[in-house]
Order: sequence, then C-alpha cells, then structure tokens
Amino acid sequence: MGGTPLTVPKADLGRTLLKLEDVSKEFPGVKALSNVNFDLRAGEVHAVCGENGAGKSTLMKIISGVYQPDGGTIFHNGQPARFASTLQSEAAGIAIIHQELNLVPHLSVAENIYLAREPRWGFLVDRRRLLEDAGRCLDRLGVSIDPSRQVRTLSVAQCQMVEIAKALSLDASVLIMDEPTSSLTEQEAQLLFRVIRDLKAAGTGIIYISHRLDELAEIVDRVTVLRDGRYISTNDFADVTVDDIVSRMVGRSLEDKFPEPTRQPGSEVIFAVSGLTKSGVFSDISFEIRRGEILGFAGLMGAGRTEVARAIFGADPYDAGTITLAGETISIANPRAAIDAGIAYLSEDRKSQGLAVKMPVDVNMVMANMGAVSSSLGIIDRQRQRSASQRYVDLLNIRTPSLNQPVRLLSGGNQQKIIIGKWLFRQPRIMFFDEPTRGIDVGAKFAIYQVMDELAAQGIGIVLISSELPEVLGLSDRVAVFHNGRITATLVTRETSQEEIMHYASGSGRRGEQE
Amino acid sequence: MAEITSGKPSQPAQQPVQGRRLSDRQKDIIQKFAALGSLIVLAAVFSTTSSAFLTVNNGMTIALQVTSIALLGIGATYVIITGGIDLSVGSVLALAGVVAALAVKELSMPIWIAMLLGILTGSICGLINGFVVTQLRLPPFIATLGMMLIARGVALQITGARAVSGLGEAFGELGNGSLFRFESLDEQGFPVVAFPGIPYPVVLMIAIALVAAFVLNRTVLGRYIYAIGSNVDAARLSGVNVARVTIFTYVVSGTLAGLTGCVLMSRLVTAQPNEGVAYELDAIASAVIGGTSLIGGVGTISGTAIGAFVIGILRNGLNMNGVSAFTQQIIIGLVILVTVWIDQLRNRR
Repeated sequence: MGGTPLTVPKADLGRTLLKLEDVSKEFPGVKALSNVNFDLRAGEVHAVCGENGAGKSTLMKIISGVYQPDGGTIFHNGQPARFASTLQSEAAGIAIIHQELNLVPHLSVAENIYLAREPRWGFLVDRRRLLEDAGRCLDRLGVSIDPSRQVRTLSVAQCQMVEIAKALSLDASVLIMDEPTSSLTEQEAQLLFRVIRDLKAAGTGIIYISHRLDELAEIVDRVTVLRDGRYISTNDFADVTVDDIVSRMVGRSLEDKFPEPTRQPGSEVIFAVSGLTKSGVFSDISFEIRRGEILGFAGLMGAGRTEVARAIFGADPYDAGTITLAGETISIANPRAAIDAGIAYLSEDRKSQGLAVKMPVDVNMVMANMGAVSSSLGIIDRQRQRSASQRYVDLLNIRTPSLNQPVRLLSGGNQQKIIIGKWLFRQPRIMFFDEPTRGIDVGAKFAIYQVMDELAAQGIGIVLISSELPEVLGLSDRVAVFHNGRITATLVTRETSQEEIMHYASGSGRRGEQE
Repeated sequence: MAEITSGKPSQPAQQPVQGRRLSDRQKDIIQKFAALGSLIVLAAVFSTTSSAFLTVNNGMTIALQVTSIALLGIGATYVIITGGIDLSVGSVLALAGVVAALAVKELSMPIWIAMLLGILTGSICGLINGFVVTQLRLPPFIATLGMMLIARGVALQITGARAVSGLGEAFGELGNGSLFRFESLDEQGFPVVAFPGIPYPVVLMIAIALVAAFVLNRTVLGRYIYAIGSNVDAARLSGVNVARVTIFTYVVSGTLAGLTGCVLMSRLVTAQPNEGVAYELDAIASAVIGGTSLIGGVGTISGTAIGAFVIGILRNGLNMNGVSAFTQQIIIGLVILVTVWIDQLRNRR
C-alpha cells in the first residue's frame, strides 16, 4: 500500500462519498451548528462558504472526527458512520489540510509524508523505499521537491504540497482544505489549483474553504453557504454569482465591498521615513504620510513590507535611515519607544503576535496602555479597565458574550477588532495595519475598512499592508509598491490600476520603459 | 474503514446534549476545587486515623513544615507563569543560610543584618538567573540547572562542607519564636503552654503569600507576568519590557529562596551546606498541584498555597500513621500525577 496511485474508475465520478443529514453541534452557551446538510461527490470540489463563526470549522471538525455531532447522521459511502477520532476518519480516507500546517520542521519531506507509517526493514526504517515512495507521491502532484530536504527549509506553498502528498499517500478519497491559499503568492496558488484539478480528475472529493471568493471560479463545482451555524443553500457554482454567495453569507446584500471614504487627506506631512535600510532585507525605504491619509504597501510576499513596518515599530533593528514624526526626528530602539511616540503596529499574525489568546477580552484590550487603568503605584483599577474595554467593545461593535471571555473563543474578525481597540485606547498618531483582514469574513472586513477610514478622518496616519490588491486599491489614497526590499514606485490610487501595481511589484522595470 | 463504529440514527438527538452539558458543568466544578477538595478529604481522613492530627499543636506543626515549600512555591509560581522554571532554589537556600550563619560567626555581624545578607545572596542568585535567561538567552532549565550546581558548590566551598553551628540562641529566634504565645507557670514553677502561638515563619508565609497574590492579581507587573507567559511576542509588541519583568520573577524566586534558607537554618540554629536538596521539586510540585501550567500563562498563589498544604498534610498525616518515608514519596508522586491529569482534563475539550 501507499505506493499505488490514487485512481477511481471513471464510472465512480459523481458517486456520493459523504453525506451529512441534519447535523447539529452545541457548545456550552453556543449552538455552533443546527441541522446542517452537506454532501460530497467523488471528483468534485465543493466549497463551503460562510463568515467566521458561521460553523465551517465546526463542520470540518465533525467530518474529520475531532468533534462528535450532538444530533444528525453522517453517511460515509452510503453507510451511517461515526468518527470517534481523527484516526478513524483518516482510516476511512478523510484527510484534512489545516490552515496552520501540521508538519514536523526538523524531519525530512519523506519522513513527514510517512510519519508513523514508515516502510520498515525489520525494526529499522527502510530509508531507500521511504525516499522512493515519497518521491513518487510528489511526482504525482507534479511538484519538484527533494524528498530528503528538511521541511523547515521549505516555503509555505511547498509545505502545503507535502501535506497534499501525505494525504495522497493515505489514499484519501475525501480531502478537506482549509484556507489553502491564504499565504500563497498568485503563482503558487495557480500551481495548487492545477494539483486540485488533477486530484478532481482522479476522483477525489475535495471540500474547499476559502475567504477569497474570487478564486472559487477557478476550481469549484458546487458551493454550500452557512450562516450563524445554519445551513443556507447548496448550488452548482455555475448557477450563482460571487455577489449571490456574499449576500447569502452575510444575510444582506453588500452594495460595495469598500466603504465610501469620509476622510479628506490634508497636505501636512505627519510622518516621514527616509533612507531606511537593513542590509540584506530592505534598502533605501523612503515614504511619507499626510494627515488623514491611508498609504498602501503593495507587493509580493517577502518583498519586505512587514520587515519595514517591524523595523519602524522597533520590533527589529535597522542599520540606517531616519524616522520623522510630526516634524521631529525620533529614534526607536524597541516597541515601547515606538508606542510612546504614538506608533501602533497591528501584526499580520494575530494569534502568535497580537493577542494573549488565553486571556480575557478586557485584559487584552488594555494591554498596551496599562498606565491608563492603574494608579501611580501600578495597582490596576478594574473598574477603569472594564469601562475602557466596554467603550471599545461598543465603539467597534465587537461581538463577545462578556468582557471575561477568553479571546481565543472569538471569531477572527472580533479578535482583530480587539487588537484595533487595544491600539485606539493608546490614541496613536500612526497606525500600521499588516494584513488586517486576512482570514476574516466579508462582513467583518467591511467593518474594519470603515474603522480605518474613520480613524484616518480623525487625523491618524495609516499604513495598510495587504497582499490583496483590490483591498489596497479600494482603501488607500496612495500606494507604495515594494519589490525585493525596495520601493519601486509610489502611485496615486485614483490614477493607477491593478496591472500597473503588479507591474512594479514584479520588478519588471519603470513605467516609461514599459510603455 | 473497519474501525468506524456505525452510528445509531434512531438514537434521540437531545439526550446526549443534555447529558454532556450537565457532566461538563459538574466536571468543571469538581476540577476547579479538586486541589482544595483533596486537601479537605486528606484532613478528614487523617483526623479519623489519628487522634493527634486535629489539634492546635499539630496544626501549627504542619503550618511550620509547609512554610518552606510554600515560600519556594510562591517564587516557583511567578517563574512558571512566565513560562520559565527555577531549579536552583534548593541550592540557593543553602547558600543563603550559610552566608547568614558565617556572617554572624566569622564577621560577628548583628543577626538581622546577617539574615538580610543571606536574603540578598538569594536575590543576587535570582538576578543572575534572570540575566542568563533574558540576556544570554539560555533556556531557563539550563540556566537554573547551572545555578543549582554553582550555588551548592559555593555553599560547600565556603563552609568546607561542614555545618556552621554555635550561632547563639538569638539566631534561632526567627525560626523558633512565635507570635501570641501564652504561657503560665504551674505549681512546681514549670511553664505550661496555654496557646503555642503562631510561629514567625508561618506569619511570614501568610504575609508574603498575601502580598504575592496582590501583586499578581492587582498590579500592572502581575498582569505583565501573565501576559509574557501567555504570549511573549504579543506582550513585547504591546510595549511590555519582557526582559525586566522576567528578571523580576527570578529575583522573587531567588529572594524567597534566600529567606527560606535563613528561616530553615534559624530553626536548626545550625547552617547546613547540604540543606534543601531537591526542595526545588517540592516547590514546583506545589505550584503544579495548585493548577499552575508549566506552559505558562496560568497559575495562582492561592492554588500554590493549597498545593503546598496538600504535600505538607500528606507528609504529616502519613508520618503519624507510621507510613514509611519511601511509601510517602510514592504517594506524593501519585498525587502529583493525578492532580495534574485532572487539571489537563479541564483544559482539554
């Protein structure tokens, strides 16, 4: 086993692999899923769409055996089934590729693919066969990764391919992909889609979860929409538009994806960076922000946008350059100095850098401004902590059962709003938003855009770092385009286009040369 | 595929929901008070097996015995909440004790200054631990393992591995004296103890536990200690001075070890360079029994105090029932495993 290619007779295409009927799941105080129906056929890609908190993850966890449903039935190949653990669902041919990849960084690609299932030679691992089998799995995906390489040296996209190869080696007939493209570049995503099409043709049923609705057209056959834990609809993708899906997800129609700007950028420069350089990472970065302006940072992954923001925030050191805030040159040695100067940075990775997820809402909310909720002796005034937190929960419309709720139990959009609230409480003059809407549902995205616009209207200078070009174009006043650690162009959003930005982001020369 | 157990579609759907929710709540209540409950159960069991257990005198004895575990446990809780560990406290308390004793004996210092010197020795050891962890960036386990060997070595070196005795009665005051002790003389003129008083070490323990809990719960510093253990990157990006707060926790641990050393040596009126071996493990055990998570971010002083008393009462009660020291170790080991297992159950789901 393991080495045989995954092929299903053509006649089997369209057979129902998995069927869920009236599945419900309740957690203390929350009805996570109520009477959800879902089915998956061999050889199709079935997208599951819904805002964060709509129940997608819960549904996937039920299918993969992490949770047991409280009600309803799962049919697997026509038989009622109950998966008591992920081991059982795996044995049944159901593999899940998590958003956070689950690979062991210090083992090789081959060892990861066959982890705990190594081909043996007596009680030793048969290394040669291990490498051969792994190589074959990767070949079948059409990707060239050396199976003896250590996983920690791979890119995110390559890791994903390894995960898929692992699923293939398990002879998975059902593959669940959770936000597979969230950290891929456009090219990498295309490679992934090609692999998905191949798997589809081979008869694998794929459940596909993504917030990037525009990419569904590339691969998806059917789409199921969930909202607030309830089943809304299932359609052939050809019969619906992206706008239909969005309006079903949010339960209302969204006229526009971006709010009408209320801000009016002034001409006064409030923040300027010039000649910022960190050898080998970025060089000669210069830009300025005017009062009430949103400046977009566009560019490919790894172009140095986050690195520049972290250096300005004092999280990482830099070699040269000057930073000027409100006409004064400031030096920033660490995040504390940056915060004191009035700079806020919302990191791209909320869970690992932005929040203490085990701690409650109010504790996180006041974390960057403890001085405002404590006496001069450092004793916390809980009343002030609560009232300040409540103010921002109300202001940002954060949905939480109480201020004592650990933030890990909130949806991504609400977590992001808590981070925004945390910084607003500090009353910053400059805010860096690094991928503020990654992994956040459509409705919450709009709310966050609105907040950003309002903040700019109040005179705060905003830098928006985003890998989603429509977001940059829809939100910012000007765009600085990064390529290979340099700013290759600074464009006025009204006068530019997605194509022009991509052009500079890929480093294919200056405007004049191209025309 | 053979492993899939087939479902029972006919089963009523509401039944398991109800059942599970109830048991979830019960589980939570049971586990929240698991440590406190086992403490009460232990006390109840020992009171029936031994008539001498539930007396004022024995209560004071237990409290006195618990002081060293509790003081070290408070320090351990601070360090462990940040995600660190301090293995050096057993050795540091020995070093602190002999430094205090030698200061009295060799340098003829007043006792209270000598004791302060001993405590300060502990603080310095903690400061070095904190420095090695935050500035040299060694894992806390390694940093404090090094300090454990070094402090013990220095203690043995400066005493020539001999106990320091002949310290005078006054040196024993801290460890043996007590507050509110009432005595009267009987007809023959012998003293009769009306109330044994609260031993000074117990007074110290209670005071320090209250202050430590207040700092952890109510101050910005305490909030930062939790924040670092919960997510060090988020704490740093929120402007927390991670190095300074981390060093502070090691200094607290070292200082309390120094204090414990002085109390212990004072109780014996002799300074033993070999005192306190493996005490760090009791300290960690008391924190862990009390619900402190070795992953960091979770823990309370009240929990640690309960943990210290669980260990103390077990030892005392088992002693009274004539259980051998070896069997005691086995039982305490099992208690640690079971309480932490229960705690894990609560956090799983």
